Amino acid sequence: MRFVRCILCFVTIASGCLFAAQTPEPAGSAAPNGNAQNGKKIFSSYGCYQCHGYEAQGGAGPRLAPRPIAFAALSKYVRRPTGEMPPYTTKVVSDKELADIYAFLLSVPPPPPVSSIPLLNN
Amino acid sequence: MAIAADAEATLPSLLEACKRLITSDRRRVYEERGKKFAAARAQALEQARTAATYGWNASPISTARLSAELWAVIKDKDWASVGGGGGRLWNVEKHYQTLAAGGAGGLGYALPASVGAALAHRKYGRLCVSLQADGDLMYAPGVLWTAAHHRIPLLSVMHNNRAYHQEVMHIQRMSNRHQRGITNASIGTRIEDPNIDYATIARGMGVHGEGPITDPKDLGPALRRAVEVVMRGEMALVDVVTQPR
Repeated sequence: MRFVRCILCFVTIASGCLFAAQTPEPAGSAAPNGNAQNGKKIFSSYGCYQCHGYEAQGGAGPRLAPRPIAFAALSKYVRRPTGEMPPYTTKVVSDKELADIYAFLLSVPPPPPVSSIPLLNN
Repeated sequence: MAIAADAEATLPSLLEACKRLITSDRRRVYEERGKKFAAARAQALEQARTAATYGWNASPISTARLSAELWAVIKDKDWASVGGGGGRLWNVEKHYQTLAAGGAGGLGYALPASVGAALAHRKYGRLCVSLQADGDLMYAPGVLWTAAHHRIPLLSVMHNNRAYHQEVMHIQRMSNRHQRGITNASIGTRIEDPNIDYATIARGMGVHGEGPITDPKDLGPALRRAVEVVMRGEMALVDVVTQPR
């Protein structure tokens, strides 16, 4: 069953993907408490990184963090995605585990500014 | 005008002939179009730089970091990409600085093609560089020995995501589409357990090998060492363990 879970991959090619990390979590929204450390661990072991990168920075799939979308939207999409991403039911990823993943996404710090990276200013 | 079979020899004359035929009205149109292209290019570069900051210090190393580190060591030389490329973070200005892909996404083409192209560039003294996928390398690794034997200078930098990653995602999509579950998507698509030490393979073939590199801070120095080897007329391989994409 670990293999079943390890293929958690939030693939989508929809340009208007709900997952794009664009909108900060609204104040007061119902984001459940989660364990960010465990979320980071299962983000890798479940295979989320395969499309979104180990830091959720994006890759074949869209960037998820920093500033993830609201938990409700994320949860809705994971359970019933509209793009090419496979759906992940609670049998594959429990609500608790999804909360942990969300806590991990919230913990990802913002990137350094372009101006602070000499290699990007050549 | 007479056009020879050699496109490279003919192109300068053809360009001059076209320039003579351009009217002042058309020239203005072209110049305006050129300004739009330049603006779009500048905007795309800025977007690429911003995107590169995400995961900049990540390990495995991000592909954007790999691209930027590699660009830093080749940009001031007479370089030519003979496989892959650095995307929008690189500035391609000369016709010989890119090489067409193998087509159809086939595997096993990139390494032999890059060695062949490097051989073609050798007489011009160019620094040839390729971004080499790990899965692709395993189809014809013997060409490393060929490059060493014939003293073909080539900097091969690996985008080693330890998978046939295109297949991982494709199989996930297909399994889901056909409601077969996703249990087996990683079988035959991951290249790990054990991880392959490509630098050791390279050294065994007589090629300078660096890596596996997992810390982005180690990448720049390894690339500079490898460039020194290539500038001496030999092949070097830098194994970089990367993010999937």
